[in-house]
Amino acid sequence: MYEISQDLSLDKKLEILSDAAKYDVACTSSGSDRRGQKGMLGNSCAAGICHSFAADGRCISLLKILMTNHCVYDCKYCKNRRSNDIERATFTPREICTLTTEFYKRNYIEGLFLSSGVIESPDYTMEKMCETLRLLRTEYRFNGYIHIKAIPGASSELINSAGLLADRISINMELPTEESLSVLAPNKSVKSIITPMSAITEGIASHRLAIGKDARMERAVINDRLSDTIFSDGRRQNGRIGADNRTEGIKDGKIIESINSAILSNNVKSGGIFLPADPKDTSLKRPFAPAGQSTQMIIGASGESDFDIMSTAQTLYKGLDLKRVFYSAYIPINDDSALPSLETPVPLLREHRLYQADFLLRYYGFKVGELLSEEKPNFEVGVDPKCDWALRHLEDFPVEINKASYDTLIRVPGIGPTSVKRIMSARRYGHVNFAMLKKMGVVLKRAQFFITCDGRMMGNIPIEEKFILNRLTDVDRKTAYDIQNPDNSVQMNLFNDFGLSAGTA
Amino acid sequence: MRVFICEHNWEAMLSCIYDAWSSKLGHQNIRLCTSAPEQYSLLDEYVTVSFDRGKAESVMDAVNLKISPQVYSEIAYAAMSSEEDALDTIYRVLILGFAYGPNVLKMVSYKDVARFFEIRRSVGNEAHHFIEFVRFHEIRKSLYVAHIEPKNHIVGALGAHFNDRMPSENWMIIDDVHKESIVQPKDEDFYFKKLSDDEFTRLLCTEEENDEYTDLWKVFFDSIAISERFNPKLQRNLFPIWKRKHAVEFK
Ligand code: SF4
Repeated sequence: MYEISQDLSLDKKLEILSDAAKYDVACTSSGSDRRGQKGMLGNSCAAGICHSFAADGRCISLLKILMTNHCVYDCKYCKNRRSNDIERATFTPREICTLTTEFYKRNYIEGLFLSSGVIESPDYTMEKMCETLRLLRTEYRFNGYIHIKAIPGASSELINSAGLLADRISINMELPTEESLSVLAPNKSVKSIITPMSAITEGIASHRLAIGKDARMERAVINDRLSDTIFSDGRRQNGRIGADNRTEGIKDGKIIESINSAILSNNVKSGGIFLPADPKDTSLKRPFAPAGQSTQMIIGASGESDFDIMSTAQTLYKGLDLKRVFYSAYIPINDDSALPSLETPVPLLREHRLYQADFLLRYYGFKVGELLSEEKPNFEVGVDPKCDWALRHLEDFPVEINKASYDTLIRVPGIGPTSVKRIMSARRYGHVNFAMLKKMGVVLKRAQFFITCDGRMMGNIPIEEKFILNRLTDVDRKTAYDIQNPDNSVQMNLFNDFGLSAGTA
Repeated sequence: MRVFICEHNWEAMLSCIYDAWSSKLGHQNIRLCTSAPEQYSLLDEYVTVSFDRGKAESVMDAVNLKISPQVYSEIAYAAMSSEEDALDTIYRVLILGFAYGPNVLKMVSYKDVARFFEIRRSVGNEAHHFIEFVRFHEIRKSLYVAHIEPKNHIVGALGAHFNDRMPSENWMIIDDVHKESIVQPKDEDFYFKKLSDDEFTRLLCTEEENDEYTDLWKVFFDSIAISERFNPKLQRNLFPIWKRKHAVEFK
């Protein structure tokens, strides 16, 4: 390892520490709505604002950096691991504050995304990060968006301080089973990740209850219209996040068990729990992580199936009320026998399928058990998860557009939450036909196989799996190819697929 | 047909609406616009209307009181459009508004109302675009200036957002196309200002000033991209090249 003296120039540090942070996928600035204030710098807009798009097509919304890329840990998949011989650098708190506020004033960014390698110990690192945020919020009077990455193993007190200073906190799950964690991230354990995660869940829920909101995070409105979603148990319960939100019977992976037991042990404690935070942070009078908690899993570094990954995601949504789970296609940067070889292609299509499935959980009322099973543990390459589900349930189709319920319509391939809303409101004034569906944003080249308008299908279509599958794969083939090979083609945007605006989180 | 022409500013447009309305020629026999036609027609008669405070205020009051304040702010917003038929469409919507009241904007099956929303939406989209991609440049210690080149007269629509975002900084946004600007002195209210040619020329070169954070931003912009996911086509879809003119990271 190079020993870098602290007189490295600011642009060199920025280069090293943003390069080291780039593999973190979350860059959204959404979820907090906060007006500006005289004497302060910054506000926050619930929908999030993108300020640029990098050469990989990803949106730039936050100054995404590590505080330091020194690390005492040795996670196999990580560029910053102790055993790698790379240039190292550390920002001072003031450097981070200046970069954030100066970039912000030029309208380059919406705020800061601060992560870090572990120096000395998780607590020491977390303390340094909190110190930086405190300086930014007080002396630099920064009122914009902050996303902080909590360090696995950090104490609840520090987590609580971080929650009061930031808009969103996340801890990376990285790997969806204990087994691969112990192989690939030997210094981390399920416990060291789940414990702070549930401390954050508690902190958010307590603060939400204290200001008169539902304990659980807001979800897309469409969920209120659907009879049974992964969020509905918690809604009805309208109170604490408790034992009822355990995910049972889908998979006996160790992580899911530990999440469940963490939820149980939290549930034993009673009422709103406030962890003792640094009084300086409590006096800032900020809400606790108003934009919620998120996490990220690496896809393709270890042997887990899509079923493992999605089951873990669902458990995190249900059990710990995470706002978002992100999926990050593994990019082979380290040559290591425990890892896929350096030539392994980045699994971009698989990542895309997981995001599609994630949308199905959060916007369409699907549950993981409906999409995947022990027998069918991975998504299809050729068709998206929703079409795949529909093809396996042809007996439920076609559905009549002018009669079907929210629950039924939302499951039709080619129909999304926005078009369901439009169909429902148009139905109040008269009959809906195919031409109107097209105007409402329904993708007829998918939907046509599954719907009737006043009893008639759009063409003469046999409801036969093989036939429909062939037609749908034709629709999808180009897209699938483009996603896996971004260099020589136009990549479809996930958000376009779903008719949602970018930045939705 | 009589064509009423006025300058592209809100008060002049209101005055123009007043004159058109009181001409009593029959709504189908008149047209309103904010720019002289490219080709004059011998069959039409052209009248230039200039700003008149009394006329503007009486239209303002009539819309606010007889239709609704919401409709007033919607038409004022849409009036930032540079579409040739924007003012005429607003006029048609007002005719409907005076007949049917505040629900006029729900009557989307009327072609004028539908067109009004098209215009309104394109103004809104462009304003949103600049909320994302305006780039300020520090020209003197703590004075931030941005240049934009919008199709519509949207600089006014950016004031509220940036005022909320940085109320305690000195900043201004200059529309190079229409020579209009929004100015915010530290801790004060922001205001709209039409720029004189002299002011405009003096402000033109602010982007040439050396701002060290521009370079740091470029460093960040380059190193944050993952080369294994290199995807310039996606980047171009999301941030088309013609929109990048003042985005310093592409220079
Ligand atoms: S803790 Fe692991 S993942 Fe995080 S920086 Fe250190 S080595 Fe990388």
